[in-house]
Amino acid sequence: MITQRPMCDVAVIGAGPAGLTAASELAESGRDVVVLDEQGAPGGQIYKGVEKVVADRPQDIGLLGKEYVAGKALTRRFRQSGAQYHPGVSVWQITSDQEPELALGLLQNGSAQMLHPKHVILATGAMERPTPFKGWTLPGVMTVGAAQTLLKSSRLLPEDDVVLAGTGPLLYLYAAQLASFGIRPQAILDTRPSMSLRAARLGLSALTACPKTMLAGMKWLWNARVRVNMVRGVHSLKAQGEDHLSSVSYETRGRRHELSTSLLLTHDGVIPNTWLSMSAGIRHHFDSAQSCWVPDIHGAGSTSRDCISIIGDGARIGGAAVAALQGERVAYEVDAYLRTQHRAMVTTESRALRRQRQLRRFLDCAFPPTADFQLPADETIVCRCEEVSAGEIRQVAARGCMGPNQGKAFTRCGMGPCMGRKCALTVSQVMADARGVSVGEIGHYRIRSPIRPITVGQLADMALVSGED
Amino acid sequence: MFRLRTHSTDPVTFSFEGRRLTASRGDTIAAALLGSGVFIFRNSPVSSSPRAPFCMIGNCYECFVRVEAMGVVQACLTEITEGMKISKVSNLIDESETGIKESSKR
Amino acid sequence: MTKKCFDVAVIGGGLLGSSLAYGFSQAGLSAALIDEGDNAIRTARGNFGLVWVQGKGEGMREYARWSRKSADGWSNFSDQLSEVTGQDLGYHQSGGFNISLDEAELEEYLRVLESLKADAGEEGYEYELVQGRTLAKYLPGIGEGVAGATYCPHDGHVNPLYLLRALQEGFSKLGGCYMPLSSIDQIQPLQSSGFELLVEGRQVASCERLVIAAGHGSVGLGQQVGISIPIYPEQGQIIVTERSTDQLAYPTNMIRQTDEGTFMLGASARDVGFNSETTTDTLQDIVRRCASAFPNLRNLRIQRNWAALRIMTPDGFPVYSQSEEFPGVFAFSCHSGVTLAAVHAEDVCRWVVDGRIPIDYRCFGPERFDVSTANTFD
Repeated sequence: MITQRPMCDVAVIGAGPAGLTAASELAESGRDVVVLDEQGAPGGQIYKGVEKVVADRPQDIGLLGKEYVAGKALTRRFRQSGAQYHPGVSVWQITSDQEPELALGLLQNGSAQMLHPKHVILATGAMERPTPFKGWTLPGVMTVGAAQTLLKSSRLLPEDDVVLAGTGPLLYLYAAQLASFGIRPQAILDTRPSMSLRAARLGLSALTACPKTMLAGMKWLWNARVRVNMVRGVHSLKAQGEDHLSSVSYETRGRRHELSTSLLLTHDGVIPNTWLSMSAGIRHHFDSAQSCWVPDIHGAGSTSRDCISIIGDGARIGGAAVAALQGERVAYEVDAYLRTQHRAMVTTESRALRRQRQLRRFLDCAFPPTADFQLPADETIVCRCEEVSAGEIRQVAARGCMGPNQGKAFTRCGMGPCMGRKCALTVSQVMADARGVSVGEIGHYRIRSPIRPITVGQLADMALVSGED
Repeated sequence: MFRLRTHSTDPVTFSFEGRRLTASRGDTIAAALLGSGVFIFRNSPVSSSPRAPFCMIGNCYECFVRVEAMGVVQACLTEITEGMKISKVSNLIDESETGIKESSKR
Repeated sequence: MTKKCFDVAVIGGGLLGSSLAYGFSQAGLSAALIDEGDNAIRTARGNFGLVWVQGKGEGMREYARWSRKSADGWSNFSDQLSEVTGQDLGYHQSGGFNISLDEAELEEYLRVLESLKADAGEEGYEYELVQGRTLAKYLPGIGEGVAGATYCPHDGHVNPLYLLRALQEGFSKLGGCYMPLSSIDQIQPLQSSGFELLVEGRQVASCERLVIAAGHGSVGLGQQVGISIPIYPEQGQIIVTERSTDQLAYPTNMIRQTDEGTFMLGASARDVGFNSETTTDTLQDIVRRCASAFPNLRNLRIQRNWAALRIMTPDGFPVYSQSEEFPGVFAFSCHSGVTLAAVHAEDVCRWVVDGRIPIDYRCFGPERFDVSTANTFD
């Protein structure tokens, strides 16, 4: 890829709507922009594989939804902007502010190197909210996001016995996408509570603010209710089977039911992927409206480190439209930083952003995280990697363990390969509940590099070119 | 679990644990295996419980497989190539490539 | 409302404090172990897990002897602690190797060992130089370029996290009172005898005897009771790899394998103040040295890195002190909290109970540095 002391003005990490827009804006205004993407093609998760679909399977575009098509224009602009695109690159570290200068540790094709940008824009997007329940580690249990990925990039469709469980807009969107491919899931086990008055009021407000999106969402929900067996008020979900899933059981209205199936897809909303931002020492806090950890953001994307900006779902869940809008706004801030080495903050908000915010307020209220998954039963495995149960976490909390980091020491919870991506939120929630404090107070795992896999040999062989040469 | 929508226009052959399988060019190893009916990718090093891909975007770290000439990779982030030889990651103490050989008792 | 007055309170829930607290409750005293929160500096995180004798004490014979005493008593200490708590500490005393990558390193290290041997005189000092094919037999996979290693039968290793957990559980089981989330900022000596411990003006506990074992926090607390503690932070970075099916039978100075099968790579030391962030260049040094020692490590994934602020004193040896102004207050700081856990739980506890540090151990006092009471180490 690059040779002696690779540098650039701006490194953008992530090629979803936020990253693509920010990169395009900055590159078009003459900045030297490098976009680093783990995927093989631009589009992030929401527009995954859009270039290939447009080229090879244009008939699929309609089936995947109008929203998906928006990715086409974004990627075309990006390709023409002059930004350098590096697919297949994983970023395993951002140097802390204690190191002499900002640098990124990259791994591509098994070879590690450092990149020295003047500014970094994190646009790493969201990840699924953890959904621990009995049996969720069985082969055959996957996330809705996983199934959607398979649909977009590999033409794989679930068999007809598939069961969807949980809640959140993505779940209903996926059901609608399946419907357009002629697939009717066996059931949607819906965990959301009945709509509150507040949610209804916010919904009306969202309808006036973003009518097209709301109508699309209502269509998905309608499709799910009418064309699929939608079971409301579901709890106590269990996945059963010997060495892979063979049935799902659940409770509703006080009675237990069972469904025979080989594929269970769960979803409970998405949360920002903060692993890179936390490992970079950026300040975060717990957002109670969205029940997740978010970086402290000022202006369009300024963080507690002047040389790093965060936009898109990685800053706060807002969706693709908001991500693109933020990409445009942050370009101004980043450009000012490159010129003056100081933060300049965009404080004005466009009407478009304000409207999106109204939509988001409704979504957060109407689809809150499922209580069962937030505080799972004792025998549920919370840490998949090290197989630590909720009961064990509660035990060490009762014995005086003060937080998730001490918990790591006592139970190995969070010490596995996923570095807590699948358990951090749950552990913080369970511990906070056990100790009678707020989730914000109990804290989060301390996240450190390497946040993506790198071997001893790859690090040993990396060329480290000092800035003082 | 899953089925293919259409036949592949650009097939790729590979092997998993010695079995010859086909996928489509551009598929990830995870998609290639799932599409071929493989639903156990590895066993957990803690309890040997069977595991398979969960998130498909590189966050759950459940889909590790061993690829000859590449080492251990996340199947959902690695593209399948023609002739690829894939096997399960072993947790058993046997001959391994890393080679700090099995030593005297500890 | 008057809170209960403990026989002894220990400020600091790391390895040193927890070893002492466990010792006190074993001795039947009513004891409090006062600890900070989840995100404190937590020096104990810098622990590699070595229970180490070889190479220690050059320049202070007493320290070499002290380390050996503790290592000799570690088995019993571990067995007893396991019995009380029902937990396995993962302690193995198979002997250990100090690996020297090149001739210069080896020569220097042999010189140190010879010097220690001379100091030991009749008491003896065991070590053995192992090289070439013999070394490869004990440490299969050892790099071909490695100059050699020295073996000491008294060395061993333990899981430091299990040790800490067991000490705290043992302490509680034997009647100790664990008080987390209490960052003591004021020590108030009482009229008659004893002390009150306050957090932001609020009394949290009172005690007859007080032990300050708060890592870097000891400095400020020591000042309040007329004890100067000349310690400063030494940053150590550690790397842990994924689990490996290979086996390394012996702990070494730079690499040890845990019971789970992961490898811990370390041996870095930097003076960077209170900076607990890892740095790429140091991490690279660690992996390069370890990969030279065992090339087959190269294929293992790095699971996580961290940096911890260990305790360093001007000569590297512990600082054990007692307040002259306020008898009954003790302050203990050391670098090797794991190795010395056994003697801390047994011997040092007795000093506190008896009310004084024995003459034989006054050599560990801060007076040896001739420091003034104004401590500038922050």
